[in-house]
Amino acid sequence: MSKEAPNRNQAVAIAAAIAGWFVPGLGHLILRKWRKAAVYFLCVGALAFAGLAMRGAVFSGSSDDIFDRLGFFADLGAGVFYFLSHAIQAAGPDVAHATGDYGTRLFASAGMLNLLTVLEAFDIGRGVELRGDEATASEAK
Amino acid sequence: MTGFFGSLTHFGAMTFFALVVSITFAFLSKRTNRERLQYSVWAFLAFMVIAIGIGWLMYPFSN
Repeated sequence: MSKEAPNRNQAVAIAAAIAGWFVPGLGHLILRKWRKAAVYFLCVGALAFAGLAMRGAVFSGSSDDIFDRLGFFADLGAGVFYFLSHAIQAAGPDVAHATGDYGTRLFASAGMLNLLTVLEAFDIGRGVELRGDEATASEAK
Repeated sequence: MTGFFGSLTHFGAMTFFALVVSITFAFLSKRTNRERLQYSVWAFLAFMVIAIGIGWLMYPFSN
């Protein structure tokens, strides 16, 4: 049996997407998906924090190099973690060592992962959700 | 905490990445907790097996 999706309006979907981008999981929190909000915040936050703790590079948008720009867009997906990266990573990046290089990838992964959660928050806001068993629908929150 | 992540090996970083991404993918794509757990385990193992397999395939070209 399928669950009828709630009919939410476009403004809520956009607000949830923007909030979810800025703070991972916040979009789902607005949509009252408590469990997903917590999991997404912890997972994206853990990846971002690990990347910074490993002294990975965080790209800026001012670079002329196309790969640096791609890295910038990936990093920007981490939202608040991107903007706080200099405060969290006080010692700065160190990609001369392999650990720093792994950190660069982990931080970019955090950004990309958060963008996926943003898309899901947008869909939930529009009323498009995964279909599931009626009995387990409340479990998904 | 910083020291722990700072001392991660390549394998440790890969394991951490596989674990976190598997959990997130499970919550993105599955609805029930049982399905999520199954998917997390499956995706985590797939990440690990494929990464180690590719590592072994590249081994002859390492020198």
